Amino acid sequence: MLRSTTTRRLSALKRTHFCLSRSYSQPQERLPHSQSPIVSRPEFFNTVTSNGQQISTYRVLDGAGKLLDATSTIEIDEQLARRLYENMQLLPALDNILYNVQRQGKISFYMTTYGEEATITGAAAGLAMDDEVLGQYREMGVLLWRNFGIQQVFAQCFGNHEDMSGKGRQMPVHFGSPEHHFHTISSPLATQIPQAAGVAYALRRMRSGTVAACFFGEGAASEGDFHAGLMLASTIPSPVIFIVRNNGFAISTPSTEQYNGDGIASRGPGYGIDTIRVDGNDVLAVMTAVKEARRRCVEQGRPALVEAMTYRVGHHSTSDDSFAYRARSEVEDRKRIDNPIARFRLFMESQGWWDAEAEEALKAKLKADVMKEFKRAESVSLCEVGELFTDVYGGEMPWNIREQREELGILLKKYSKSWEPWRNQLAKYKNQGQDIMKE
Amino acid sequence: MLAHSRVNALARCVTRRRRLCRRYSAEAAVEPPPAGGHLPSIATSSLLRPTRDLAIRTPGLVWTDEDGSGPSRNIIGGRETRKMNLYQAVRDAMSVAMSKDDHAVVFGEDVAFGGVFRCTMGLAEEFGRERVFNTPLTEQGIVGFGIGMALMGHTAIAEIQFADYIYPAFDQLVNEAAKIRYRSGGSYNVGGLTVRAPTMAVGHGGLYHSQSPEGFFMGAAGLKVIIPRSPIQAKGLLLSAIRDPNPVIFMEPKILYRSAIEQVPTDDFTLPVGRAETLIPGSDLTLLTWGTPVYHCEAAIHMLASPTPEMEEHTPVALRKARVELIDLRTLLPWDIETVVESVNRTGRLVVVHEAGMTGGVGAEICAQVQQRCFLKLDAPVKRVTGWDTPVALQYEKFHIPDALRVFDAIVETLSY
Repeated sequence: MLRSTTTRRLSALKRTHFCLSRSYSQPQERLPHSQSPIVSRPEFFNTVTSNGQQISTYRVLDGAGKLLDATSTIEIDEQLARRLYENMQLLPALDNILYNVQRQGKISFYMTTYGEEATITGAAAGLAMDDEVLGQYREMGVLLWRNFGIQQVFAQCFGNHEDMSGKGRQMPVHFGSPEHHFHTISSPLATQIPQAAGVAYALRRMRSGTVAACFFGEGAASEGDFHAGLMLASTIPSPVIFIVRNNGFAISTPSTEQYNGDGIASRGPGYGIDTIRVDGNDVLAVMTAVKEARRRCVEQGRPALVEAMTYRVGHHSTSDDSFAYRARSEVEDRKRIDNPIARFRLFMESQGWWDAEAEEALKAKLKADVMKEFKRAESVSLCEVGELFTDVYGGEMPWNIREQREELGILLKKYSKSWEPWRNQLAKYKNQGQDIMKE
Repeated sequence: MLAHSRVNALARCVTRRRRLCRRYSAEAAVEPPPAGGHLPSIATSSLLRPTRDLAIRTPGLVWTDEDGSGPSRNIIGGRETRKMNLYQAVRDAMSVAMSKDDHAVVFGEDVAFGGVFRCTMGLAEEFGRERVFNTPLTEQGIVGFGIGMALMGHTAIAEIQFADYIYPAFDQLVNEAAKIRYRSGGSYNVGGLTVRAPTMAVGHGGLYHSQSPEGFFMGAAGLKVIIPRSPIQAKGLLLSAIRDPNPVIFMEPKILYRSAIEQVPTDDFTLPVGRAETLIPGSDLTLLTWGTPVYHCEAAIHMLASPTPEMEEHTPVALRKARVELIDLRTLLPWDIETVVESVNRTGRLVVVHEAGMTGGVGAEICAQVQQRCFLKLDAPVKRVTGWDTPVALQYEKFHIPDALRVFDAIVETLSY
């Protein structure tokens, strides 16, 4: 008995040895849970391409607005081209006013889209109108593409009672609208990435044919939620397009301090996700790449990753002076050399779809529309003060919030005429706080 | 019966093949320690309902029949019960929820084979892998994914393997799930999200298989936090949590998974969220707790009334007839202040018991509210019996958790103040 056991052990040992030696000489051996071929030399590798090459960038139009490959077929006609152009021009039209309005203290905060107009508009155009969008904060252009309307842009930034995004509760540029399939923006970076995987999985279960689109910057891609989101979407196959706006900066941190690999695109294959890098200043390239990514997502029920390479021309936000960490000349150069709007205008003109007259008319119209809505928003009152306490919970309001609402009502009643900061503030609200004082 | 045993055999088979190295082994976690078991009172607790009649007359129970608000709702004749432990009741609740709601899905680490605590046993076979599935090992991802599904109107029942590992998802829970309805002006919500997590000490869980993190969520307005004490409570409260229009963290005391056994109605029923339950009425002292310590408190009340010979010297004769009111808080956020304040105003004395550390614990919040509302009625300082403000050290657990003796001492001290 003992002997036979020993013999069995010995033969098992021999088998192991045999396997070990064979695995070096016979490359058809495979490891468990892997299709990795076996090699006999230690080889390290880095990035995802050979010879230290970087992942290529897809481009349709060159810097002069000419088709890079005359034989390429891009789905574009005059009507769509005009729409793309007008939407791209609407962004700086709004940015100019809202940035200055913040400087005058009329709104508390703002973030511009300068330089990323093509990335946002192209991506929006590549999606279906009912694809669920989860953004970071620099994606107002998607909402505008979906006819959100500039009145709602001002309502949100002013936080007045017409604000459908959040009743004046969130900081400016935190838009949202179920009607436009645009999930409400929140400040914590990258939290929307795993959420997008869940949204997409729900779509796959109950609304196939639509996808989720998740926008974020290259800085947000350093968060753990990026890792979680891409991994989840890939392993629990979910039709979501991850669209990275790689604009070179996360506030003051240049992308060279954000990662050491080949951008964000190089990570996609690590998660088993179809990936493309695209020139983010080429609206046709972005639109085409997103369209193709979308087609794959719908067909395969799996995620795709699009990295749009662009440049953040504006400051990070109105709380940031970017010349503290980058040269003014660098920004001016980028604006001059590679302006996404100018590039597309050259293409439009080459097609005979645009001229100086049309340009002038559009700019005048946009300016007038924006000014009109700005003036209007200034005069609209804020929500009732009582909205401070609603929507924390669905269903019955818990006792603590109910009591605290009453307490504020009592304090307002007692002090609102004597305490200047409250008196001035209450004048801006619908009903001047009467809604909670009368109880 | 046959089908059930086959599922069990399958689960056992799968378990044997798996190696749960990273965390607590399933076998070790669910098998209560044999000799000198540290919770002798659970098996014989009078708080558990051993008969059908007692089970179907559980206070606050609302039948949720197929025909909505039909007249049969309150009829209890013909209701069946089955003997279940807590993990089986949790499983039963999820099965009921999923069979009535096509949008309901269950996911987390290792849930597909039945879960390391058996709570999802057979669900994947019953409802398919599309609805019961494993996720990669990422807690922030699990909760984020659940939020996404809930945003689309799905019922997302996510599992965090141990409450100790909920912290990577803290941002998703506190900054996202809790605030989505508010920040969107009510246009989006994640009411369909329920996050289940085993909680509290298990005898040998050490630092990271013993924690009671409910206090960390007390400030997360927008979330609800529920902790059941028994199988009936687990099923009824979990079904309420799943259907509540708000995101809920549902913490299951893991030591009770196998040790707490009672008859559980097999039909669909719910128990009220936000309501405490008075388990033992009394007039001299209010003893407030939740989860596992409910049974330590019950034991402490018995110790006071009929001390063992060794404990006689510690048990003043005058106090042995004291009537202690025992309340199970059940919902931590928002908690049932009405029941607690009413009780303390009657008894004039309050002892709060929880396993988490004292500083910043749930007890602090409760005591502050009670002193504000019951100031003139209090006959003694409000006392807290909690875990110490240390991590839960493996070989010191018996001296760490608020066991029956520590609760007993607090009752005696408070009554004789």
